[in-house]
Amino acid sequence: MRAATAVDPLLFAVAIILAGCWSAPIANVRPKGDPRLIQAAIAVESVRSPAIVQSVDFQTRTVVVRNPADRAGTVYRFGKRVSNFDQIRVGDEVQPTVVEELTVYVLDNGKLPRSGGGLQPVEADAKVLAVDPSYRLLTLQYPNGRQETFKVGLGARLAQMEAGDDVVIRTIEAVAVRVRPR
Amino acid sequence: MAGMITAPVRRRLHAAVVIVGAVAALLPHCARCQITPSQANRIASALGNRVEALTIEGGDLGLTGGSYRIRGSDDDMDMDVSKFAGSGEIGDPRRLGDLDIAWQPRLQGSIGSVNAESHPHAGSRNGVGGQFATFAIEFGGGARFWLSDRFSLAPTLMGMYGHTSDDATAAASAQTSASGGATARAGWNENTWTVRPAMNVQYRFTWNRTITTLSSDATFFHTQSSGGSNSNIVDGNSGTLANSIDIDVPLGRQLYGHELRSGGFFGRTELFGDLKDGLDTQHVYEIHGRLVLDFLNQFWKVQWLGIGSSYLWGTNFRGWTVGADVAFRF
Repeated sequence: MRAATAVDPLLFAVAIILAGCWSAPIANVRPKGDPRLIQAAIAVESVRSPAIVQSVDFQTRTVVVRNPADRAGTVYRFGKRVSNFDQIRVGDEVQPTVVEELTVYVLDNGKLPRSGGGLQPVEADAKVLAVDPSYRLLTLQYPNGRQETFKVGLGARLAQMEAGDDVVIRTIEAVAVRVRPR
Repeated sequence: MAGMITAPVRRRLHAAVVIVGAVAALLPHCARCQITPSQANRIASALGNRVEALTIEGGDLGLTGGSYRIRGSDDDMDMDVSKFAGSGEIGDPRRLGDLDIAWQPRLQGSIGSVNAESHPHAGSRNGVGGQFATFAIEFGGGARFWLSDRFSLAPTLMGMYGHTSDDATAAASAQTSASGGATARAGWNENTWTVRPAMNVQYRFTWNRTITTLSSDATFFHTQSSGGSNSNIVDGNSGTLANSIDIDVPLGRQLYGHELRSGGFFGRTELFGDLKDGLDTQHVYEIHGRLVLDFLNQFWKVQWLGIGSSYLWGTNFRGWTVGADVAFRF
């Protein structure tokens, strides 16, 4: 019993000393280091919000969907592995899962130095909010404040990423879809 | 507890009188097997401690299930503890007012059963013999407060219901004779309730993808009878103080699209009060290893799924367990 009661205050004191303060994750911070490309084409999967089908093109395997927050509509190209693509009809509610590629930069006021000199503007879609290298989770924050967490592959250089990095997102194709006929 | 002249002791005396009556009714007509009220009091106290300890062992999430053998000073006991327990925080940490402290609600629950067989030593005056079956269910919650990104405190409060019975054999056995001891009526049962305030202190950090967690858990149990056939023999306090270090190591290899992770923990748990007396054990060491697949952000709220195994030892205490190792992150 003596040993145990001695351990607790010691653990507590050491922990307090090493702890510092809690700080909320913030995406709008300036990342450390010079502007550079950290990594391109990091493949991730993203489950999109449900939306209503506006049109379907079975030849090109593309679908235009729209939801109340997306007035312009979004075009998805469906991969050949999507087995229920033929079931999609105009007016159905669909929830696609898409493959995206993330490219992560450290930018200087939205610009990246060119190799030959000068600055190249980069239009980022989101910023890194948090990085969990152990479980390979990358949390992004979009300009509208929405957050999304991605599971990235073993090759992702998460150790080099941090809050505030800029991310360009490119949608490749839909690889699955949940269809709810209306 | 046993040495205090308090209300619980008076209640135990009352219970002891009942047990003495039952003992007297079932004993063979043999003068050497009669027990005195003080002996009956010791039996009731020991039995109460045993019921309290089995309830906590079976139902509390802080103690690991498994197969155990206890070689006590008064009796030997074999226990099989089956348990399903879980705890965790809900959502991401959120700021507490204007403070640089974050908090998360925390839920905890456990359900388990114990089958135990106890054999008093020849000549022991306090041994409790019998075949015990305990069922217990526990639920509660609290909050985790993050004082930094690494250091957190989690005060919690839980309630537990327990039911212990001895349907197979006699209830208590006092070794009052060289021939083996007295026996009481079979078929007794005891319902109990327990309140369980606790405090967890945790320090967690990540180094090279490996997560190390140092934690300390102080837990208090107050257990009371709430009915049954054995006349309120349980009214006592117990406690545990558990210190552990846990390592969670990603292995960098994937299986079926999920990364393999390994790790485990080493810990020491001090037992206090009736739990210590009931199990006749002062402390328990546990070493646990696991091999799991990472499902975090891939399948519902599952963090990992795999197999784990523990070996436990301590004063008069040996045990082991092998089973599914599942962790959730809500």
